Amino acid sequence: MRHVSSPVLRRLVDEPRAVPDRARRHLAGCDRCQAERTEIADNAAVAARLLGGTPDTADVDLEWILLAERLRQPGAARRTVIKNPWRVPRRLAGASIGTSTAVGVAAVAIGVGAAAALTSVYAPTHVAAVRVSQTDAQAIAKLFGLGSDQLPGSLPPSGSTKLAFGQLSWTTAGRARQVSTIAQARALTHLPYSAPATLPAGVGSPSSIAVQPQVTATVTFSQNAGPGIAGSTLEITGGPGILVQYGGRSGLAGLPALAIAVMDRPTASSTGATASQLETFLLSRPGMPSGLAQELRLLGNPGTTLPVPVPSGMSAQQLKIGGASAVLLTEPADAASGVIWESQDGVVHGVGGLLDSKDVLSVARQIG
Amino acid sequence: MDTSFMTRLRSSPPQASPPSFEQFFREQYPAVVRIAFGVIGDAQAAQDVAQDVFISAFQRFPDPGASEHACAWVRVAAAHTALNAIRGERRRDRRQQLSAVAVPPMGPEETLLDRESVAEVRRALSRLPRRAATVLVLRHNGLSYAEVAEAMNVKVGHVGTMLRRAESALRKELQNASRL
Repeated sequence: MRHVSSPVLRRLVDEPRAVPDRARRHLAGCDRCQAERTEIADNAAVAARLLGGTPDTADVDLEWILLAERLRQPGAARRTVIKNPWRVPRRLAGASIGTSTAVGVAAVAIGVGAAAALTSVYAPTHVAAVRVSQTDAQAIAKLFGLGSDQLPGSLPPSGSTKLAFGQLSWTTAGRARQVSTIAQARALTHLPYSAPATLPAGVGSPSSIAVQPQVTATVTFSQNAGPGIAGSTLEITGGPGILVQYGGRSGLAGLPALAIAVMDRPTASSTGATASQLETFLLSRPGMPSGLAQELRLLGNPGTTLPVPVPSGMSAQQLKIGGASAVLLTEPADAASGVIWESQDGVVHGVGGLLDSKDVLSVARQIG
Repeated sequence: MDTSFMTRLRSSPPQASPPSFEQFFREQYPAVVRIAFGVIGDAQAAQDVAQDVFISAFQRFPDPGASEHACAWVRVAAAHTALNAIRGERRRDRRQQLSAVAVPPMGPEETLLDRESVAEVRRALSRLPRRAATVLVLRHNGLSYAEVAEAMNVKVGHVGTMLRRAESALRKELQNASRL
């Protein structure tokens, strides 16, 4: 790949998890990029040391009282001290009026260098539970114009389909396939899969090892998709991944006794729309279940959270695996459970099966 | 401090502004004063800047909950107002040099070294282009890339570019100053 751009190198200093994994992989083997990163990090450290500081704890109550006193007074005390601190509101106002021309001009103004560049809008650093009912799931499928024949698992290696607000196309770096050893799976995916040293009672050796190559999906928003979104492109990358099943299938609901999955976290980049514009657009689609939309908004920063859907009837619990936030899902009778977390290296891990939560956590903690 | 005055003030909360503005103030004040302090390096002056920012914010956003831009606005306003303040100091310093008036002594709690280095950083900052100084101050006072992008109305991906250039420029300014 090309060298890592200096803005990306700068972001690596502060928010390394927001940087695409491919950039980090390139950096690991490139002396030139490493040298530039060192210089950038030095400059950043100087600025942080000189400019970052915390004032003595201010008494917010007192400051509020003083401010409110001034606000009550007419004239001099309330005179506008800041005449025009910010030219941005006018630009924002223009954008909110929203014409495609204005959006185009703004994109050009941001700079030729950035004009064609993909900006990272989604790079999750942690997982969080989101309750999804069957009705919610159906509403979302309908919202995206997806039928059951278009759901993941039945997709061909590449193709495209029309969505309610644009076009979705996808490609994979190859078909999912079975391999015979974990070493092969590691070599094909470059993922750090580590097998648990001790398995729960009744769980046998690996019965299936599958590798899913990386999948790249591109959503091209139609011209009537709305201000900020229209005509932009969203590129979503997921995987590669490894799925190892242990002990064969029990026959009960087709679930394995134990399954362990690892995959590179999904990430998304946009050519135009910002993360917040995309969030607003998607959550305000007609047909989006309001309860689900509210729950997604409450996740906080949507760009860094990987939502874990919790089907109705399952209970969810937030805990830690190897220092990372994890979501534990448990069937009411504790006959089946699963836990999902994202480790520091940007790999999403899942452990689950026909095991109680104690056994699932015991496996997770060995590999987490 | 006159404690009876304070008690009186606290016992009669002002009612001139809507409750939502008080909530907005309480939520945003720590960030605003921190940004101002990052520029000025003086807690008292930073609090004065914060007061001015919120006075203006009240005029612009009397119901800040109804505006999606109010949070970003106060942060950028804090940076700009504080930068204006140190630019004013620069002009004052120059006048004092020309008129040979002695610079008033600073507080006893500040060492000579601190005073010199703080002043040097402020001078360097005041010589940077406004947007470069603003992005530095916002980022190095706790705003994430996404928050800086929102505050400055740029794409998140552009923050890295602005920040890298600004940090490089700040370092050059400091190196030039140390050679003088």
